[in-house]
Amino acid sequence: MSERSADPGALQADARAGGTGALPLGTPRPWSPPAAALHVPRTEMLRYLGHTGQKIEDGLAARIDAAAADAERVSAPRGVRAAFAVDATGADAAGNPCIRLTGTTVELTGRDIYRHLKDAEAAVVLAVTLGMESERRLRLLGTLQPLDAALFDAACSALVEEAAEALDRAAKQEAARCGLTGNWRFSCGYGDLPLEAQGSLLDALDARRALGITLTPSNLMIPAKSVTAVFGLFRADALGNAPVPAADAVRSCRGCARADGCAFRARGTRCYR
Amino acid sequence: MFKPRTLDALRIADDDLRAVLEGRRRLLFDGGMGTMLQAAGLAAGARPELITLSDPEAITRIHAAYVEAGAEVITTNTFGANRLKLGDAATVDEVFTAAVAAARAAGARYVAGDIGPTGALMRPLGTLSFDEAYELFAEEARAAARAGADLIIIETMTDLAEIRAAVIAAQESCDLPIFATMTFEPDGRTFLGTSPEIAARTLEALGVEALGINCSLGPAQIRPFAERMLAVTDVPVIVQANAGLPRSEEGRTVYDIAPEAYAEAVSGMLADGVAIVGGCCGTTPDYIRLLARAMEARGRALEPRRCPRPFVAASAQQAAVLDGRSIAVVGERINPTGKKRLQQALREGDLAHVIGLGIQQQEQGADILDVNVGLPGIDERTTMLRVVEELQASTVLPLQIDSSDAEAVEAAARRYAGIPIINSVNGTQESMDAVLPIAARYGCDIVALTLDEHGIPETAEERVAIAERIVRAAAGYGIGPHRILVDCLVMTASTNQRQALGILRAVSACRERLGVHCALGVSNISFGLPARGLLNATFLAAALGAGLDAPIINPASERIMDVVRSFRVLNAEDEGSAAFIDRYAGAPDPYTATGAHVAGAPAEGARQTDAERGTIEHLILTGRKGDMPAATRAALEQLEPMEVISRHFIPALDEAGELFDAGKLFLPQLMAAAEAARAGFDVIRERMPASAEARGRGICLATVKGDIHDIGKNIVRMLLENYGFTVHDLGRDVAPEAVLAAVREHGVQLVGLSALMTTTVPAMAETIELLHREAPSVRVIVGGAVLTPDYARQIGADFYAKDAAAAARICQEELGE
Repeated sequence: MSERSADPGALQADARAGGTGALPLGTPRPWSPPAAALHVPRTEMLRYLGHTGQKIEDGLAARIDAAAADAERVSAPRGVRAAFAVDATGADAAGNPCIRLTGTTVELTGRDIYRHLKDAEAAVVLAVTLGMESERRLRLLGTLQPLDAALFDAACSALVEEAAEALDRAAKQEAARCGLTGNWRFSCGYGDLPLEAQGSLLDALDARRALGITLTPSNLMIPAKSVTAVFGLFRADALGNAPVPAADAVRSCRGCARADGCAFRARGTRCYR
Repeated sequence: MFKPRTLDALRIADDDLRAVLEGRRRLLFDGGMGTMLQAAGLAAGARPELITLSDPEAITRIHAAYVEAGAEVITTNTFGANRLKLGDAATVDEVFTAAVAAARAAGARYVAGDIGPTGALMRPLGTLSFDEAYELFAEEARAAARAGADLIIIETMTDLAEIRAAVIAAQESCDLPIFATMTFEPDGRTFLGTSPEIAARTLEALGVEALGINCSLGPAQIRPFAERMLAVTDVPVIVQANAGLPRSEEGRTVYDIAPEAYAEAVSGMLADGVAIVGGCCGTTPDYIRLLARAMEARGRALEPRRCPRPFVAASAQQAAVLDGRSIAVVGERINPTGKKRLQQALREGDLAHVIGLGIQQQEQGADILDVNVGLPGIDERTTMLRVVEELQASTVLPLQIDSSDAEAVEAAARRYAGIPIINSVNGTQESMDAVLPIAARYGCDIVALTLDEHGIPETAEERVAIAERIVRAAAGYGIGPHRILVDCLVMTASTNQRQALGILRAVSACRERLGVHCALGVSNISFGLPARGLLNATFLAAALGAGLDAPIINPASERIMDVVRSFRVLNAEDEGSAAFIDRYAGAPDPYTATGAHVAGAPAEGARQTDAERGTIEHLILTGRKGDMPAATRAALEQLEPMEVISRHFIPALDEAGELFDAGKLFLPQLMAAAEAARAGFDVIRERMPASAEARGRGICLATVKGDIHDIGKNIVRMLLENYGFTVHDLGRDVAPEAVLAAVREHGVQLVGLSALMTTTVPAMAETIELLHREAPSVRVIVGGAVLTPDYARQIGADFYAKDAAAAARICQEELGE
C-alpha cells in the first residue's frame, strides 16, 4: 500500500510514478458525454445482430442506418462514477472471501470478482444509461415491428457500451494522473458475480436518483439499456513491475460460465469488444 | 356516497396550517436528512430509516437543529420506509412510529410523514402494478397518520403513475393534508418525461393540498420550472431544491451552492409566489436559517392566486390544451363498432393491432385518442385496463376513456397516468350519478352528451338546456365548465336535414353561455349520402367556425386533416402559418393537379414493373416487402390463395430458415424475409373468407416471470404467424399461473417460453412443472441465450429451440398437417 496523504478521502498522486492529481474517494460524480460525441459503432451493432460477413441488401442496410440514427436521436446517455477503497479482508455469509467497497454497502461475492479486485488499491464503480426514451421506443417497436425492434435494440446495446467505454476511459485517464492503472470493467452477471449486487452498486452511486435507473424484482435494470460496472485501480510496485497482470488487463472468455454453447463463439466472435 | 375533498374533511393541525392550505400563508420546511446522515458516516446504500430505530437520539438531534434554525415542518426520516425497501429489517409501522416520535421530540411544530418512491418502476415500462404500488403507499400513509403526523409529503417522484398511486393511496388511507412533489432534470422533464405543467395539473386534478418540485437541481435551475407550475395551478406551490451538485473536498462531500447563494435564489421564488420552501440534498440547518430570514423579510401572509382555466387533458408526456384559441383532434378509430378486424383483435387479446391503431393516429395528427373496447360478451374492465396500459407505453397522446360501463371507466381513470377524459355522461340522472363522482374523484374531464330520458332533442335550445343541466350538476361535484366537452350530437343530414344548422347554433351557444368546450362526432352527418368525405369536411369546417374545438374524427382522412390544418391558420393557432406553409407549400392542389392527392399513395404502376422482375421466392429471400403485395396479386390471378401459400410462401420461408442455419443469412435477413412474406399474406387474407383461415393451430408464447427481455420471443412470434399459427402472445414477465390460464383459455397444445437470464431459468422450470402437472398433454418449447439442450432437458422442457428458425420448425413438426 503506498502512502496516503492527510486527506483520507482521496488517493494521492504517486510522485515516483509521475502522477500529479488526486483521485477523490466516495463522492459520486455525474458524467455526460461531450455533445453529440457518441455514435453507434456500426461493427458492434452488426456483431450483436449475428452478422458474420453476409452481403446486406440495400433495403436492409438503410433500415440498419435508420435504426442507428434513431438510437442516437432518442438516447440521452448519462453516467455517474465514484471510486472507493477496496476491502478484500472480509468474508461473505457463506464464509468465502469477498470484496467490500469502503463507505458503501457493496459486497461482491464469487471467485472471479475477488481475483479481479483483491489487489486493487481502489475500485471505480460506474453506471451509464441511455434513458427512459430508449426503453419506451423499444416497447413501441417491439409490439409492432419486430425487425426494427431487433435493429434498434442492437443499436442501443452498442451505444450504451460505447457510453460505458467512454466513461471508463475518462475514469482511467483521471486515475492515470495519480499513477494508477485500471483493469477491465466487470459487471454483475459476468463469471460468478451474481446479479444481486446490482442494487448496492446503484446505491453506492445514488444512480437510481441521479440517472433514474430502476431494478425489477429479478435485478434487471430498467431502462434496459443501462450498464453498471466496476474495475480495480492498481499501482506499480516498488520493483517497477506492471501494475496489472497482462492477463487481467483485457477481458477474455476464460472463466465465462457460458463459454460452452455460446452463440457468439460459435460464430467465431465474442460478446464483448 | 361521494364526498368532494375539501379542507373541512381533513384533520388540520391548526389555523396557521389551514391558512397555508388556503394559499394565504407561507411555510418553511426543514432541509436534507440523508446527506446529514452520510456526513455522519452512514454508508452509501444503507437504509437511513433504520437509524431511527437503532439511534433515535441521533435523528432527533438533526431534527432539533432544523427546528432551531427556524423550520416549521420537520420531515420524518421515512423516505424509503416502504415494505419493498425495508424487507425484513423492520415493519413500516415501527419505522414511522419511531420517526414521528423523533420529530416530535425535537420540538417540531408540524411533522410531515415522508413518503418516497418505491424504488421499482411501475407498469407498463416496469413490472410493479398500480395495485401493488397503492398497497405499499397506503401502508405508509396509515402508519404516518397512526403515528401522529400532521401531513403527508410525497416527494422525489419521477413517474406520474407512481405519484398518482401514492396520492390516491394516501387520500384513501388517512385524513391528513397531502403535499406532493416531483423531481425534474435540467431539460425540464422528469426521467419519465413529465413536464412541470403536467405534474402540477395532474396533481391539482387529484386534489392535493400543495404540489411542487424537489431534489435534482439547485434553486436557480428550479426557479423557471416553479414559475411554469405557478402559471397553471392555484394550489400552493412547494420547492425544496438541492444545494447544487456534490463534490469531494478534504474527504467530505460538499455541495457547490453555498447557503447565501441558495437563500437568495429561493428568495426570488418566494417573490414569484412559491408558498412553501425547504431544502433537499446537501442543505443543512445553515441553509434553513437563511431561508427563515428570507421568509421573515417577506412576511408570512400571501395572496391566493387565480390562474386561467383552460381545458386540459394529459398523458404523462403530453397535454392537449383548449384555451379558446386552439383545437384538438380526437382520434376515433379505436372503436370496434363496425370494424371486424378490431373486434377479432379485442376478442383474441391481440393488443398489437389495437396499439397499432393508436400509433397510426398519433402519427396522422391526432391530439387525443378515444378508446372504446365495448363488445358484447367481452370483459370490458379487463380489456380497457390492458389497452389503456399498453397505449401509455407506446403513445404519448392523452386518452379519452369511452365506455358506458362505469366500472371499466372507474378502473381506467383511477390508474391512468395523467388527466383522462371520460366519454361520456348524459343528461339522465342515472348517468350523472354514475359518472360525475368518478370524474370528480380522479380529476377527469368529461364529454357531456346532450340527450336525456327523452332522447336527443330536436332544437338547439333544448340541447343547450340539457348541457346546462349537466354543467350545473358537475359544478356540484366541483367540476368546472372548463373540464366539460359538450357533444351536441350530430344527426344524419339525410334524415334530419333541418337539424344540421341547429347543431352548429347549439355549439356556439354552449361555448358562449356555458363556458364549456365542445366535442362532436362529425362523420355522422353524412350517413346515407354519397361523397361522404366531402360532406364531412364541409360540416367540420362549419362546426369549427361555430366553436367546435374537439372534433372526434378519423385522422387517417387527409381531407379531414386538411380542414383541421387550414382552420389552425384561421384561428391563429398555427402561428405565422408555419406548419401550414411547411406542409402545403409546393404541394399540388388536388383540384388542379393531375397527379395523386398531396399525401396519397404512390401510383401502383411504378411498382408493378419492379415486382415482375422478381419471383415471390426471390422477393421473400431478399426481404423486399414493398414489392410483395403486387407480386402476390399477380400470382393470385393464376393460383388459388392456398396454392400461393404452399407453392411460393412456405418454400421460400423454409429456404430462408435453411440459409439462416447455414450462416448464409443473418438474423435481420431472416426477419426481413418473414416481413416480406407477411406483406404477401396480408394480401391473401383480404381474398380469403375468415372461416378458411387455419384454426386450432394455436400456440402460447411468453417470456417467463422475472424476465423482461422479449426481443427473441417477438421474433419467434413473427415467424410462427407466417406459418399460419395462431399465436397468443402473453408478453413478458409472465407468471406460471398466467401461462396455465392462457393454455386453458385458448385450448393450445404447445407453449413457447423464453428466458434470457440465468436467474430467470428457475421461473421457466417452475412454469414447465406447472404445465406438465396441470395440463399433461401440453408440450413446451424453450429458448433463450442462456439455454443449452442439456439445460433444457434438466428443467423438463419437451423441446429446445436454439433460435427462432428452429422454433418454427419444431412447431411445424408438432402441429403441422
